Amino acid sequence: MKGFGAFFMKELRELVRTKRLMLILGVFTVIGIMDPAIAKLTPKLYEMMAEDLKSQGITMGEIKVTAMDCWAQYVKNIPMGLIVLLIIFCGIYTSEYSKGTLIPLFTKGLSRSSVVLSKFAVMVLTWTAGSWLCFGVTYFYSGFYWDNSAVKNLLFSGFGWWLFGVLMISLIVFFSAFAYSPAQVILGAGAVYFAMTLIGMYSKAGKYLPVSLTDSLSLYKGETVPDDCLAAAAITAALSLALVLAALPLTRDRKI
Amino acid sequence: MNVLEVRDIRKSFGSKKVLQGVSFSVPENCIFGFIGRNGAGKTTTMRAVLGMLRTDGGEIEVLGERVSFGRPPAGGRVGFLPDVPEYYGYMNAGEYLTLCGSISGMDSKDIKNRCEELLTLVGLSGEKHRIKGYSRGMKQRLGIAQALMGRPDLLICDEPTSALDPVGRKDILDIISAAKEQCSVVFSTHILSDVERICSRVAFIEGGKTAFSGSIEEIRALRRDTALMLTLSRPEDAEKVLGGFPAGSKDSSDPGRIVFPKASDRDCGELMAFLSAQKIPIIRLERHEADLEDLFMEVIGK
Repeated sequence: MKGFGAFFMKELRELVRTKRLMLILGVFTVIGIMDPAIAKLTPKLYEMMAEDLKSQGITMGEIKVTAMDCWAQYVKNIPMGLIVLLIIFCGIYTSEYSKGTLIPLFTKGLSRSSVVLSKFAVMVLTWTAGSWLCFGVTYFYSGFYWDNSAVKNLLFSGFGWWLFGVLMISLIVFFSAFAYSPAQVILGAGAVYFAMTLIGMYSKAGKYLPVSLTDSLSLYKGETVPDDCLAAAAITAALSLALVLAALPLTRDRKI
Repeated sequence: MNVLEVRDIRKSFGSKKVLQGVSFSVPENCIFGFIGRNGAGKTTTMRAVLGMLRTDGGEIEVLGERVSFGRPPAGGRVGFLPDVPEYYGYMNAGEYLTLCGSISGMDSKDIKNRCEELLTLVGLSGEKHRIKGYSRGMKQRLGIAQALMGRPDLLICDEPTSALDPVGRKDILDIISAAKEQCSVVFSTHILSDVERICSRVAFIEGGKTAFSGSIEEIRALRRDTALMLTLSRPEDAEKVLGGFPAGSKDSSDPGRIVFPKASDRDCGELMAFLSAQKIPIIRLERHEADLEDLFMEVIGK
């Protein structure tokens, strides 16, 4: 693990200087603002359309927006932030391998495990900051306009999204251990996501799958409780750990 | 003690045999020229020496320690300058050297002093701009500074001058010559004039094998009896000269010129005595100084 600290600081500096951090946090802030804004604007949009709809014989009653609508928007929009983050980070390893920027540092004793783990740590930190920033902004506005207490298990649903994001980041780490381009990495991670979604749709194993952590609406409504998701959370955490650990020997054997 | 020992290393990529028995050794405080054509296997050999490549056979010892894939030379003891060094463009030279120093395990005071010392050595001391704006020559100079950062015992430079203009090349060669005071240098290239200028020992690699390895003096000694060129005033005298010295041959482009491909000091004296005794007028008698290019051409069979 020689050089972990120095390389981790280099990664943080890279994140700031290349403006990736600003971009990612900006996207999550915008999403956090969009959630209540869309919920707030929905009745106005319906009002504007009411005349047209009336002429077609459709009459609309008064729409009452609650905190639940705001959090439903959060569930719809947070994947966008995660996708932006994954796209920004999908080349974090492969671009360094292909450019050869690591070679001088390896000759100074930097271990390959330090590279894998420090980049993973920086991605998880960025995702933690971004996802909870988005959660915080949504929570603040939702509480300001409506009443957050009407929505159940808010913190746990935020944790579920965070843990799911950590798994997706671990997939980036894993595929980067042998892929040669950012496109291969993102395709690999995407393929695993779709496989999980498909299995979840047609199998009883669905509730144990990491994707089930993103079913926040059931948690908000109280149809499921955090205890129901514990197995999925444990599996997701174990899988993330396994992917990162598997990436270490694969990266050690990789030709650079 | 030799700082680097390479014994009979072999490497194939699929069916292509890139290295088929490369051997050479580098003594202490020496600038060692590793010469070969493009694609001869120089970079592959260097990567093997750095433990970045799995070889199919042979042994490598750096400073007495065995090196293999996954077991690179002990951190900091070997400095490496890749052929096209790539850096983090958002850093400046000082920040990059600080990163290298931290990874090498140097303390912050030592890093600061060493940075100033090396940036002065490579002529980048006043440079505050980020690396992304650097010219190729500046990147190459920074490459040497980073390679020397951890005070290595062996500096390996992979074609450091190949892509540079004459001024840039001179700068790099001067810096490498200065680095000799601190460590041994292995320097791969196909530019023979650079080797003649700064190297004390060389190895030629051709077809994946070491074709020759030795000191510059050994090369000169080996090639001492080469190429004597005689240009006669009257081409018709050529037959008379060749009658006395059958080793010579007429130059196909000039019938008045005779080439003696292997002529010793004694042959040269005898030829002059013969010309004098026979009163054969000449325009000039040239002794072609043996150089690396001759040997290189001989090695590669051209």
